[in-house]
Amino acid sequence: MKKTLKKTLLVMLALMLAFAFTGCAKDKSEDEGASPAADTINVGALFNLTGGQASLDQPSYNGFKMAADEINAAGGINGKMIEVKVVDGKTDQASVASAAKKLIDVEKAVVVAGLSDSNYALAAGGVCQSNSIPFITSGATLPTLPEQVGDYAFLAPFGDNVQAYACADYAIDDLKMTKCYLLIDQSMEFTKTLAHFFKERYEEKGGTIVLTDNYMNKDPDFSAQIDRFLADKGGAEILFISGVPDDAGVVVKQFRDKGVTLPIISGDGFDTPLLMEVAGDAANNVYVGTHASLENTDPAVQKFVADYTAVYGHAPENAFAALGYDTMYLIANALKNATDPTDPAAIRDAIGATKNLKGVTGTVTYEEGSRVPTKSVTINKVEGGKFVFQKEVFL
Amino acid sequence: MDTLYVLSQLVNGLKLGSVYAMVAIGYSIVYGILRLINFAHGDIMTVAVYTILSLVTIFGLPLWMSIGASVVMAVVVGLIAERTAYRPLRAAGEETTLVSSLAVSIFLQNLMMMIFSPQRKAFHLPENLTFLHNFNGIRLSTMNIITFIAVIVILVILTFVIKRTRVGMAMRACSDNMDASRLMGININHVVVIAFIIGSSLAALSGLMLAGEYKTIDPMMGFVPGLKAFCAAVLGGIGSLGGAVLGGFVLGVAEMLFAGLMPTEITPYRDAFVFVVLILVLMVRPNGILGSREGGRS
Repeated sequence: MKKTLKKTLLVMLALMLAFAFTGCAKDKSEDEGASPAADTINVGALFNLTGGQASLDQPSYNGFKMAADEINAAGGINGKMIEVKVVDGKTDQASVASAAKKLIDVEKAVVVAGLSDSNYALAAGGVCQSNSIPFITSGATLPTLPEQVGDYAFLAPFGDNVQAYACADYAIDDLKMTKCYLLIDQSMEFTKTLAHFFKERYEEKGGTIVLTDNYMNKDPDFSAQIDRFLADKGGAEILFISGVPDDAGVVVKQFRDKGVTLPIISGDGFDTPLLMEVAGDAANNVYVGTHASLENTDPAVQKFVADYTAVYGHAPENAFAALGYDTMYLIANALKNATDPTDPAAIRDAIGATKNLKGVTGTVTYEEGSRVPTKSVTINKVEGGKFVFQKEVFL
Repeated sequence: MDTLYVLSQLVNGLKLGSVYAMVAIGYSIVYGILRLINFAHGDIMTVAVYTILSLVTIFGLPLWMSIGASVVMAVVVGLIAERTAYRPLRAAGEETTLVSSLAVSIFLQNLMMMIFSPQRKAFHLPENLTFLHNFNGIRLSTMNIITFIAVIVILVILTFVIKRTRVGMAMRACSDNMDASRLMGININHVVVIAFIIGSSLAALSGLMLAGEYKTIDPMMGFVPGLKAFCAAVLGGIGSLGGAVLGGFVLGVAEMLFAGLMPTEITPYRDAFVFVVLILVLMVRPNGILGSREGGRS
């Protein structure tokens, strides 16, 4: 009997190992032909292509890759081709950190970019900082991220304070709604920061937060919070939900099912197709403060939408596709201007010196000493299952 | 704090509790016989839900047919796990099968990730099941009502089977003393297979209820509800079916009343509260609320 036990355990172990290795094998096959030639510049792309963040990061990576192909087709960086090295962060902080390490040590990336959530960007940024490799987050919006990580970290999008202020301004100035219910995901740095800045601005402008409630990411059941709200609405006219993509559709749907038809507003965490896929018609009357409207008639935006559609067979899923695209151009611009495009420190200085770089999601300028750009915020509204442009808010 | 509000939170608790109860029955029926804490139970739930989703969306089968197929699928997976990972280790002791059930759980999660990708997917039931009935301001979907009734009906049927039929008698005998039962001429493997068939079909049904309620599915969705249902089963007295159902409802109601009545600063930590309750109950009643001293089937 003892023998059978040992045998079975061995088989189990073998199976688990086999799984671990199939994972590795996959990574390797993607990276074939990785031998760094002198005429290429390796750019690390670190995105959560699987897991809860994938609905933001996959479009973002698509945009990033497309921009690199465009730049290479136009002759590259002073004759050198950009080689995008991608590693999946799997929506897991430990995996993100080891992915960053892999990009630096194995793939010899001179700059690393990607990620749409602060928790993961902090993990990746730390690794890059300690290896003195510039890190640009394409979509994470924690305004204090560069301070926390160090002088090699940059934001490509606006900070949370900016998007939260814009949502507060829009609710009060445009929607004329001065009583707000606040629901916060307490498990994320991003959602806590966003809610904090929203509350600050909303109250400063004379609005009242009538009730604040909390939940944890991936709690599938919001009925306790919703019933608490229904029992004590306090005259709320609008709901601000500070959440991330995988909860967006679920929470909105449950509020609507319980008969709450009030407008809901949120930050770019709700800028995900999952919102409409999960909630269906219930997603109507949800406002989302985000990085761009893909309906914008600006020729640069329309060219991006048309190209993306041609390459991937469908329109960009959300503004994160555009952020990924802009981030690659931000890197390319820095590589062009750097005194030595193989020296990470020179690239960092070149990124920090970026001025008036126009992209799909607005214009990037890093003010003296700041590594967070000031950009406008777009307010979209879900109507008939689509994001419809409402207003561009400048602070 | 008016009564309607407390009542509505109570109903939320019953709603959640009936899903826990459903999962807990499946846990309990296998545990009762094998003393095996089957961690893969929640993941069999996930397999069933993905079966429904693929049959409905890819092959366009009607829902009732897909549900039938998902039950069959869950049973097949459950039996394969029993045959390959549990039966060969049965003589080795409870700790060993516990570990191999964790391995099966991780295996199934990874398998689902490989086949369906780790992405969350939307899961929609037809309108007539999600239709909301309004009872004096408290809204319940048809599915909620079906779940609640199903839990009670299944409890009654299974209790009858265990107390009044030959198979049930064999199950109780195995639960009391497996070696003696074998000497009495009971085919142990036969009894275990039946327990796994019942347990896995219940997992399939509870998966449907869970996914239908929350409208999204992902490969990891079974694990936490599985864990909570296991706690429900322990709370109620593991091995006792009535205890599993009671434990499920107690856990669900405790969770919702905590989330609904406590200050909002601490409500996100409701899972921690639930487990504190579990510890407190077990300190007073180590065998659970309805558990007998020997921890056998009551």
